[in-house]
Amino acid sequence: MNYAVEAEGLQCDKGSFRLGPCSFAVGPRARVAIVGPSGSGKSTLLRCLAGLDRANKGVIRVHGQVVRDDHGAMSPDRRGLGFVFQDGALWPHMTASQHLRFAAPGLSQEQSCAMLSRGGIGHVADRRPAEMSGGEAQRLGLMRALAAEPRVLLLDEPLRSVDVHQRDALVLLVRELADERGIATILVTHDRDEALALADEILVMHGGRIVEHGPATTLLQSPGTAFAAAFLGGAACLPVDASRDGFVATAFGETNARGEAKMLRLVLMPGDLIAVPPSGDGPRARAIASVPHEDGYRIRAALLGQIVLAQAATCIRPGEEVELRLRRPLRVLPWTTANAQ
Amino acid sequence: MAARARDWIARAPFCAAILFVVCFVVAPMLLLLWQTIDSQDGLTLVAWRELFADPQDRARVWASAQLGLASLCVSIGLGFTHAWVTVGRDLPLGRVLGPLGIAPLVVPPIFVAMGFADLFPVAGFWPCAILLGTAHAPFVCVLVARGLRSLDGRGYEAALMLRGRGRAELWLVRAILPELIAGCMLAFLFTVADHGVPEFLTVKGKTWHTYSEGVFSRWTRRAVGTTFADRQSPIVAAAPLVMALLTMLWLALKLRGRADERGVRAELPLRPLGGWRWPSLLFPALYLGAGVLVPVFVLARWALGSAQKAEPMSLAFLRQSFQKAVDQGVPDLMHSIWLALGTAACVLLIGLPLARRAGRGGRLVEALCAVPIASPAILLGIGLVLTYNSGPLAELFGYGFYDGWGFALAGYVARFLPFCVLTLAAQVRRVPLAAEEAARMLPRSALARALTIHLPPLLPAAWSASALVFVLSLRELDLAVVLPAANSTAVRRLANAVHFQHEDWSGVIALLLLSIAVLLPLLPSLIAGRKLASLS
Repeated sequence: MNYAVEAEGLQCDKGSFRLGPCSFAVGPRARVAIVGPSGSGKSTLLRCLAGLDRANKGVIRVHGQVVRDDHGAMSPDRRGLGFVFQDGALWPHMTASQHLRFAAPGLSQEQSCAMLSRGGIGHVADRRPAEMSGGEAQRLGLMRALAAEPRVLLLDEPLRSVDVHQRDALVLLVRELADERGIATILVTHDRDEALALADEILVMHGGRIVEHGPATTLLQSPGTAFAAAFLGGAACLPVDASRDGFVATAFGETNARGEAKMLRLVLMPGDLIAVPPSGDGPRARAIASVPHEDGYRIRAALLGQIVLAQAATCIRPGEEVELRLRRPLRVLPWTTANAQ
Repeated sequence: MAARARDWIARAPFCAAILFVVCFVVAPMLLLLWQTIDSQDGLTLVAWRELFADPQDRARVWASAQLGLASLCVSIGLGFTHAWVTVGRDLPLGRVLGPLGIAPLVVPPIFVAMGFADLFPVAGFWPCAILLGTAHAPFVCVLVARGLRSLDGRGYEAALMLRGRGRAELWLVRAILPELIAGCMLAFLFTVADHGVPEFLTVKGKTWHTYSEGVFSRWTRRAVGTTFADRQSPIVAAAPLVMALLTMLWLALKLRGRADERGVRAELPLRPLGGWRWPSLLFPALYLGAGVLVPVFVLARWALGSAQKAEPMSLAFLRQSFQKAVDQGVPDLMHSIWLALGTAACVLLIGLPLARRAGRGGRLVEALCAVPIASPAILLGIGLVLTYNSGPLAELFGYGFYDGWGFALAGYVARFLPFCVLTLAAQVRRVPLAAEEAARMLPRSALARALTIHLPPLLPAAWSASALVFVLSLRELDLAVVLPAANSTAVRRLANAVHFQHEDWSGVIALLLLSIAVLLPLLPSLIAGRKLASLS
């Protein structure tokens, strides 16, 4: 298969931080999101692909063409990649149309205005960045990247400086423009909702390594790691203790699990728990908030130093003790793994 | 292959600039250093030991340190108070007086000395300290003003809400401490390295000598044929001074760099002076009066004939003075102007690629370019003379180079390169890296990126830096004394002329020189309406 982007054994050292080795491939029209907490290396990975950060090892191919290997690296402007920066990274002394004409020198004034209009910012053609809103600036950053007709679009947290009302419109615009041009997009974000809105495929990073990679629906429904479940599904991950051979003890009882206990977590997805008034032997938690939800209440309760979500039939006041019961079988997963390499 | 060639072309300006620094900064300084440890005249490190044992040298070091500290007090008294009462205050005429804080920098220290020497008997330590303190007060003033302008006003307001006005003002002083200390260090550095003013005052009856004077006197004795077989070389003599200055410069740059990292968030609120509103005018009056008005007043008096005791001052005498100035001084003035313009232009061409590298993490480049500030100008001049008067570099450039204007220009550029590199590097740091990375992602040539993306945000700072270099070149005396072609510049001629009772036309030339020095920095304000404050 001809991939839009392929990385093999990519490694990059930045001070004490080490990225990788990372290997993955992105399909020709795929929409991929690289997610992970701050400091997980997702931006470094994107910048290595773009050539803005120098990788120490590994091979990068863009549509089959080697742009980086152990013999050398192609300069960023020759890789055929577009890059949308966090805060737009606009040039303060240039107007919007000048931005596009710098990116694509052959563009006439009319063509640049038409392109800006396609991005929904035709009215700012003669304005400088200081006279634009955050959303307009980010749209301009997007149109500037697309003006050079890249083969792959890289987006580094593009919605971070955009206010909530403009986010949806920008998400839709990115999807439409990528579809129109038939190009792959790789998005970096630490926001789960942003990732799910812009991508069909997700790559989860932690500690400089890729811990999971797969379709968004698969990772949401059956994550392979507790970290991915917590990050993508909002799951609470509770520690487990070693029990007899092949078994671990959790707050909800024993279950069989492979691996070292200190590397395992009990994964509690939202909706896995029911809160009832204390009556049986189930673990007790203290309610900290209660809001009406569907045909009952959604309770937030403190359990073993973490906040878990549970359904309750009746309203439970903050401070009251509740007993938690599982609605699904126990799920114990390793915290992270590098098995997606 | 083509990509590699493009890379090299893109690096060519930086390589050329580094080559210049190597030839005209590093090579002279290394040669000086080499001579201290391996001289054919038998000079060895032993000379250093002897130097410290010499009571005369110890006395000079002590005199320099005392002079530096005393004049620093004067600089703080004048410069700090001027900035303090004019920035963010309701001082009458504060908007005009604030930007004028940089004005005394235009007046060469030798003019300040000449001015005061004409009005008062300036013999002894304290008058010298006051003169040098006055001349170097702009370093304190400009950096303190910059600190006040770049502060986050919300921090002051928080202190005001919590502890009242007095404590809030104290908080403000603490907040601008890095800039204040950096300004003090620069003022101290320039005072200790100055040889022109103490040497000028020697003629007027001074009985004590500074260290840089000692260095220069050794050099001149050596130049007229005295061997230094049993004498310490001027370079060896200067070594402790350079070490001390380098340390101070390093500290000053570090403090200034830390101040750069502070982002502007909210402007400092206007702080009322209350009952001190009108009396506070005394501070700017004193600062500008001593630094600008007194020298200009004396120069104007000279032009009118004050030095001629036989007849009263008159406009007729002014006409005569002007005529004499045209006949005897204008060629030197034109030399000064062309040299200063050439220096300002070359400093920009060489400084831009260096500043870009320095601003993007090239601390070594920044440190290398800053060396000429730490070295007294007289010493850099001596190093240049030694390097290009004989030896392989002299052969490479041709022996005619040493006597020509090209050599003087190169020396001036080397001397003032740090001002351009440090100013522009600070500006480069303020431009977000992402904006430049965005340009790197686009398929455009390095030249297109440099001209369209990198250069425009630097233009205001580039203008300020070149204006500063122009002014400093016009007033440079120490290098003019040593470099052959620069001997015929206006400042050098003026310093000599007053010794020979030529105050009349010297006054006119000096006034013309000051007018030109003021005019160039003011051009953007006059033509484009740019704020005066941007100059500082």
